[in-house]
Amino acid sequence: MDDVVKQFKWVGTRPIRPDGVPKVTGRAMYGGDHIPAGTLYGRILRSPHAHARIRSIDTSKARALAGVKAVITAADFPDQTFDYIGPERVAVNFWHVTRNIMAREKALYEGHSIAAVAAISASIAAQALTLIEVDYEILPHVIDVDEAMQPDAPLVFEDMITRGVEPVPAKPSNISKRLEFGTGDLAAGFASADVIVEKEFKTAAVHQAYIEPHACVARVDADGQGEIWCSSQGHFQMRALTAQILKMPLGDLLVHPAEIGGGFGGKTVTYLEPVAALLSRKSGAPVRLTMTREETFKASGPTSGSSMWVKIGVTKDGKIVAADGIFKFQAGAFPGSPVMNACLCAYAPYDIANARAVGYDVVSNRPKAAAYRAPGSPISAFAVESVLDILAKKIGMDPAELRLKNAAGIGTPTIFGPKHAHAGYAETLKAVLNHPGYKTKLGPNQGRGVASGYWFNGGGESSATMEVNADGTVLVATGSPDIGGSRASMAIMAAETLGIDYNLVRATVVDTGSVGYTHVTGGSRVTFATGMAVVNATKTLIKDLCKRAAMIWDVDPEGVIWEDGFAKPAGTNVGDFDPLSLKDIASKSAATGGPLVVASSVNAGGQAPGFATQFCDVEVDPETGKVTILRFVAAQDVGRAIHPSYVEGQIQGGVVQGIGWALNEEYIYNAKGLLDNAGFLDYRVPVASDLPMIEPLLVEVPNPNHPYGAKGVGEVNICPPMAAIANAIENAIGRRMTSLPMSPPKVLAALELPQAAE
Amino acid sequence: MPDAPARVVFTSGFSRRYTGGVTEFAITAKTLRGVIKEMDRLFPGLGFHLEEETTIAIDGELYEIDYMQPVKPGAEVFFIPKIEGG
Repeated sequence: MDDVVKQFKWVGTRPIRPDGVPKVTGRAMYGGDHIPAGTLYGRILRSPHAHARIRSIDTSKARALAGVKAVITAADFPDQTFDYIGPERVAVNFWHVTRNIMAREKALYEGHSIAAVAAISASIAAQALTLIEVDYEILPHVIDVDEAMQPDAPLVFEDMITRGVEPVPAKPSNISKRLEFGTGDLAAGFASADVIVEKEFKTAAVHQAYIEPHACVARVDADGQGEIWCSSQGHFQMRALTAQILKMPLGDLLVHPAEIGGGFGGKTVTYLEPVAALLSRKSGAPVRLTMTREETFKASGPTSGSSMWVKIGVTKDGKIVAADGIFKFQAGAFPGSPVMNACLCAYAPYDIANARAVGYDVVSNRPKAAAYRAPGSPISAFAVESVLDILAKKIGMDPAELRLKNAAGIGTPTIFGPKHAHAGYAETLKAVLNHPGYKTKLGPNQGRGVASGYWFNGGGESSATMEVNADGTVLVATGSPDIGGSRASMAIMAAETLGIDYNLVRATVVDTGSVGYTHVTGGSRVTFATGMAVVNATKTLIKDLCKRAAMIWDVDPEGVIWEDGFAKPAGTNVGDFDPLSLKDIASKSAATGGPLVVASSVNAGGQAPGFATQFCDVEVDPETGKVTILRFVAAQDVGRAIHPSYVEGQIQGGVVQGIGWALNEEYIYNAKGLLDNAGFLDYRVPVASDLPMIEPLLVEVPNPNHPYGAKGVGEVNICPPMAAIANAIENAIGRRMTSLPMSPPKVLAALELPQAAE
Repeated sequence: MPDAPARVVFTSGFSRRYTGGVTEFAITAKTLRGVIKEMDRLFPGLGFHLEEETTIAIDGELYEIDYMQPVKPGAEVFFIPKIEGG
């Protein structure tokens, strides 16, 4: 691989990040930082109840308060058709979305938006909220997924009939949908197994915990045209969602991307933009809305909590012959958990002839689940990878060797039908097996665990424009918000393709009016899909440059080639002219046809999935139950690392979030269904002092469908940590932890129980 | 075989709703557009549902709906449900 990488001048190098200076100096503009003159202060009134019917809302006193410029409730929003529609891989039901943005018939979770105000000061806006009178009928609530599935559970929607069940159920329930995927003959598979293990697992809902809360500024003028400045994972997505919610033409909305202080999937959906736009339309002034940290926890999407059962059978020599699983996911207050992903990814790393995955999407009285890094996959991986660890121990096989023996490769069928078209998993296992730390001796109360993960990665629609300035510098503009270093990777790929210095290329993220439609920065799609758009645009630019050089030399375009950043004479013209640089050609742009500007749009397909294998060493304090991570090694197939430092950062970030999910993070609800830990003091994410250096191992199996072999790298790294840590804890103390988080009280409780055979 | 039809496969849930429970079809087409048109001819209205509700795997490679996507003779074309996100 080193030999292959060396043929590139910029791909695979580590130039200084272009967004570094404004971020470390505090000058970067985030979602709420763009404040036009006359901007009003927006505030949202939120439900104090987990579940309540809204009998009436009286806003008259708030409207009468001096300084209040607008008050809105759900009645001010147009209602939506009940239908699942949408582009790319996600279908959206706007009947649900508009009710999540502002409650209509019922408040479905604590923090659910009820009404909003815009006022000339923050204090007046806050006072106005106190003057809004809401008559609630408090209803019984349900939070836990198993409880929500009970026949006598309080119903979030009184008319919701489970989809995917035949015959169609006669009675409503909280089960929105049942899914089933399967292959082979499960009974025959388990009959051929020498060892079978089945286990139940639970995971807590966890928040993406981005440091920047949701924020936006909106201005809608009297002519109906509007602008939004927001921090999101896709400003085209925010435009589409806002336009649909408010029934505005897309062309009337211009959305500007801000820098983003973390998203991790949670900023692919909208909460504030339509509210701010409607307040602006009513008040005639720009409106700024920002969530507090408490609002972010209570009203924006965590990932699902879950309840799972997994059963896997192996032969004595370690061949997995059958796997079965039931995955029950909290969707939050509206349908749409990532349970389908969980089903599709659960066994995807493995060659298993007989397998089934059954999923349930279940609503309950908590915020609507939103995407979180490889949504769904880390949850099912916790269960499957834990059971595999038990099986490896039972047959006396190294857990990584067990996985290697069953690793999926090109041509291996998946549970959802298609055969794998890309390799990469076995290579991550070999990287771990060859790591010197994998065989080191451990001390008392210490243990080692290994686990793997799979994520599809994404493609889809992306656009790019490029322009050559008069001095030969190059601008690359895309519509992909930069979350993980895409500006650097786009500039690298453009420089590599053009054959020029990376420092001559500036990559920017531009508004919805300045580049073609681009889908969200999510699904680990940007380096792949937007990268293809940039490379295609660069190739188009090179053709144009050669054409312009031919005009300057007065030769046929075929008599010009592009090489190492210069137009050079070719064929019979060789030796007749000195090479022309970008600057040389740009200086003649007016005479040769006008500005050097090109654009490219793609609907990129053929993305390769991500595979990851990780191992960690832990030490368990037998007196407190505290788990300390001593070592964490994370191997991931990254295709080709365009900017290795950013790739390593993605891996380290995913692992750290996985460690938090494994050991500490959870929503704590009281008896009233109210969240008791809506802040970073009580909702504990890992901090630097909790962690060792996370060691990334970049495994490069290039994707032939991408010009530079890139694969998505942002998500699969969060799939293995929970199981890897659970397996390490078991290795340390002989107790199997099956419920996340594996916090000190739970570990201590497990230690107090007698050690049992698994 | 130069004219070998593509093997077109739906999930059981999708086929229950739209194709009378039949999950596999042999379709001769050069592009994804051709596959969708032929399925729509067999089951009028199905083309809309395929475009709105599914993503595609052709010989294991994942794609969004793209009419011009080539379908080689004998290819395996899987229509996979979209994820619900809203």
